[in-house]
Amino acid sequence: MKINKLAILFFAFNILFISCNDDDEIFTPQGDYTDGILISGEGSATTGSVTFIPENLSAPQQLIYKTVNDAELGTFLQSIAFNETNAYICVDNANTINVVDRYTFKEIAKITDQLVTPRYMVAVGDTGYATNWGSTAVDTDDFIAVIDLNTNKVTKTIPVGLGPERIVAKDGKLYVSHKGAYGTNNKVAVIDVATEVITEITVADEPDELFFDADDNLWVLSSGRASWTGSESKGSIAKINTTTNTITTSFDLATTEHPNFLTYSEGKVYYLLSGNVYEMEVSAATLPTSSILEIGSVNGMEVNNGQLYGLNASFSALSELDIYSLSTKEKTKTMSVSLAASKVYFNE
Amino acid sequence: MLSAYGQKDSIVNSLDEVIVIADKNIKENSIGFKKINLQDSIILNNSESFTSLLRFNAPIYFREYGSGGTSSARFRGTSSSNTAVIWNGININSVNGGQTGFNSLTVNLVDNIDIRPGGGSIKYGSGAIGGTIHLNTDLQFKKHFTNQFISSIGSYETYKNVYKFSYGSSSFVMKGGISRNESENDYPLLGTEFVNTNGSYKNLEWNFNTAFKFSNNSKISFYTTKYNATRYFSGQLPNPKAAKEKYRDFNQRNLLVFEIKRNNFTHITKAAFLTQEYNYFADKNIDTYDFGKSKTYLLNYDFFWQINASSKLETYTEYTSIFGSTKQIEEKNRIQFSQAAIFTKNFQNNISYNLKFRKDFNSDFEVPFVFAFGAEIPLENNWKIRMNASNNYRVPTYNDLYWPGQGNLDLIPETSKQAEIGINWSTKRGNSSYTNVDIGYFYIDSKEKIVWTPGGDPDRNGIWVPINISEVLNKGFEIRLSQKYRLDHHIFTLSSNYSYTNATDKQTDKYLIFVPKHLINANFAYSYKKWNFFYQFLFNGKIYSSEDNFFSLPSFDISNIGLNYKIFNNKNQSLAVALKVNNIYNEIYQNSPSRIMPNRNFNTTINYKF
Repeated sequence: MKINKLAILFFAFNILFISCNDDDEIFTPQGDYTDGILISGEGSATTGSVTFIPENLSAPQQLIYKTVNDAELGTFLQSIAFNETNAYICVDNANTINVVDRYTFKEIAKITDQLVTPRYMVAVGDTGYATNWGSTAVDTDDFIAVIDLNTNKVTKTIPVGLGPERIVAKDGKLYVSHKGAYGTNNKVAVIDVATEVITEITVADEPDELFFDADDNLWVLSSGRASWTGSESKGSIAKINTTTNTITTSFDLATTEHPNFLTYSEGKVYYLLSGNVYEMEVSAATLPTSSILEIGSVNGMEVNNGQLYGLNASFSALSELDIYSLSTKEKTKTMSVSLAASKVYFNE
Repeated sequence: MLSAYGQKDSIVNSLDEVIVIADKNIKENSIGFKKINLQDSIILNNSESFTSLLRFNAPIYFREYGSGGTSSARFRGTSSSNTAVIWNGININSVNGGQTGFNSLTVNLVDNIDIRPGGGSIKYGSGAIGGTIHLNTDLQFKKHFTNQFISSIGSYETYKNVYKFSYGSSSFVMKGGISRNESENDYPLLGTEFVNTNGSYKNLEWNFNTAFKFSNNSKISFYTTKYNATRYFSGQLPNPKAAKEKYRDFNQRNLLVFEIKRNNFTHITKAAFLTQEYNYFADKNIDTYDFGKSKTYLLNYDFFWQINASSKLETYTEYTSIFGSTKQIEEKNRIQFSQAAIFTKNFQNNISYNLKFRKDFNSDFEVPFVFAFGAEIPLENNWKIRMNASNNYRVPTYNDLYWPGQGNLDLIPETSKQAEIGINWSTKRGNSSYTNVDIGYFYIDSKEKIVWTPGGDPDRNGIWVPINISEVLNKGFEIRLSQKYRLDHHIFTLSSNYSYTNATDKQTDKYLIFVPKHLINANFAYSYKKWNFFYQFLFNGKIYSSEDNFFSLPSFDISNIGLNYKIFNNKNQSLAVALKVNNIYNEIYQNSPSRIMPNRNFNTTINYKF
């Protein structure tokens, strides 16, 4: 999930619910980690970690959380969510969300109470919503933790179906992809924050990345089930109308095709299939037939400002970030980043 | 404290005729190797866990996932699945995972332990690459009846109770014991606000062993042991409270040995039946669990031919049938037939050597032909040169081969070639003083090492798959010093190991992870009449925790002290009390990332024999 998208959501939410606030104070971010790229790594035998790369792509700075706070994040660092001032680092095995200043990385709080395998969070105003798998041995205790971002405490939990993964928010509703944790699932849940009423939309198996395009359509990528499961199923990208909560277009792949890392940038959608990057316009009626770039097997991918970022992860050493220019299709830069790197965020 | 092999040789020689040892020829098979023997008193002084016993007494690095947690052993920078644990001559490494957990073995029911760094696949099969650890039961044909109670209480609600008995006559012996250990193990994690959470354990083991001598030329012996444990896996920093895993172990081992000697021929037939089971609970509050189970049937025929006064031939024929399964893997049967031959020559001038060969036929894959050579050449003035060379192997585990979606049926066994040369100086002064120094250089070249890696199979994008990939080179040296000095009632003993290990990945030239370059341990003891004081020291060098050597754990050193007092000690009974203080300097240390080891802690023991 990219920060600029989150920021847009945040401001959109602000305008809707607290637009009476006319205090026009200009926020100027300050800190060692302003203007640059954050790479989060899950960790393995070692702790999860965050790498900062300055905007000019000079030398990466490893272990920035540890450098600033002289402490470890723990394993596995699943994701980072942001609001205007803070970053929320979700470490699932440690049942922890670390709250840090997003520009200095100084720790503000640790949220542990009532979190059980936290995966992803979204911040909406003063409230955070974090998907939790619950106990990985139980399929029926998964939930969304509702966090007061002023006190950094979980105020309540909303029970949901199996394996809630990514979460985005819009107009008082939360949209959650139910990938299925250690099992499998095929739902996108739409949760009305006020009433906690949940509407489920069935998509293809194992939905993961999701985001809104400029026309408020929700895009969801489902990888499908892998062949070794014995019940292989097709990958698919669903375009969902958020007014009617129905799938407008289902871009289906073959049963043996399992795409990942759906992302959105400047009116285009990108995904990876068998090491090849595909690009399509949000208005397209069918999937592209040829790829634009081959980057091989990666553990994370993001597109921003005409650059594609691929994470060639190592789980026993520092990973490699490869940056490609989408105009020339050339690899322009390679650098070492977090062990088991999986996510790219733009700290602007 | 008893120590080292100067001592051991004399014990073995004088008692050879009365002690029944299931793994009879470890001494002869070990020509050219360094052997460390740990006896009763050392075992008793280190009875907290197998890990701490060996950590302070052998040149082995242990990676322990918090005190009392999963613990694995590495000799000379080899991997933990390259350490074979041998119970009365039988390899007991796990069928599913390929290794032995050193906190799931009970210390107190073992009579003595041999530690032999170096390859041993000829006799001990898969995994005997870095070294072997032998757990031995001794049965004595001698009129005796002894009972022993050991009871100890330690910090963090740690309790241990042991009862053992041994009864024997000139033709019959039986011996048994029961040991129960439990601990809350909730020590404070120094430097943090937390305690070791979810780290408690309890285990129960009993054993029974018996032997009967039909005549001086034939005897039968039977060994059985059963182990049952429940442990919890403690949490990692920064939030140890997140921990909720639980683990149960059930192991059972039975061995029947029949030996018959005719003229120059000895025949030993062994039959063994072993079972192993683990249950893994991802959440202790939930009843569902993962499991692995195995049953091993083993038949072995050992034939010895004393060709003449200096030459001996042994052949070794073994049939093993293993049935293994896990929750994810349906039961698979692996059958192995092995044939080995060992030729030993002892010249009159005490030069000795042996040559060993083994060929396995395995139902799952090709196992390489292995050979070994060992020699010892005594020089003047108590010097001795020892050398050995071997190739060894480790077969892929059931998990490596069959794990759904991730296993790799194309795996072949890991192999290693190794050589060692050492020089030894040993001297005895009078009855009870000795010095023994051993310096050895080792070289281990390993190929086709099995590594789990994401994207190991191009057809399974991003999936973790085991593949035969890495080649590693380990070289270094080990020094062992053991010394005993007696002056009237004052007895001083010192034993110490230093090892220098340079283990690198041949492709990247980086240092292997979890291998300390420097490892030192030392034990010093002083006895005066009824009193015995001892001091233990361990220095564990820096280790890398990532393959690019970017992440590391700092070196640490820890010291323990102990005091034993014999309240009375006469012919029929003895009573002793002991106090031990571990980590006296309250050192903050970790030997696995994000897991702080115990602070200063205490242990008191009562030992009553009658």
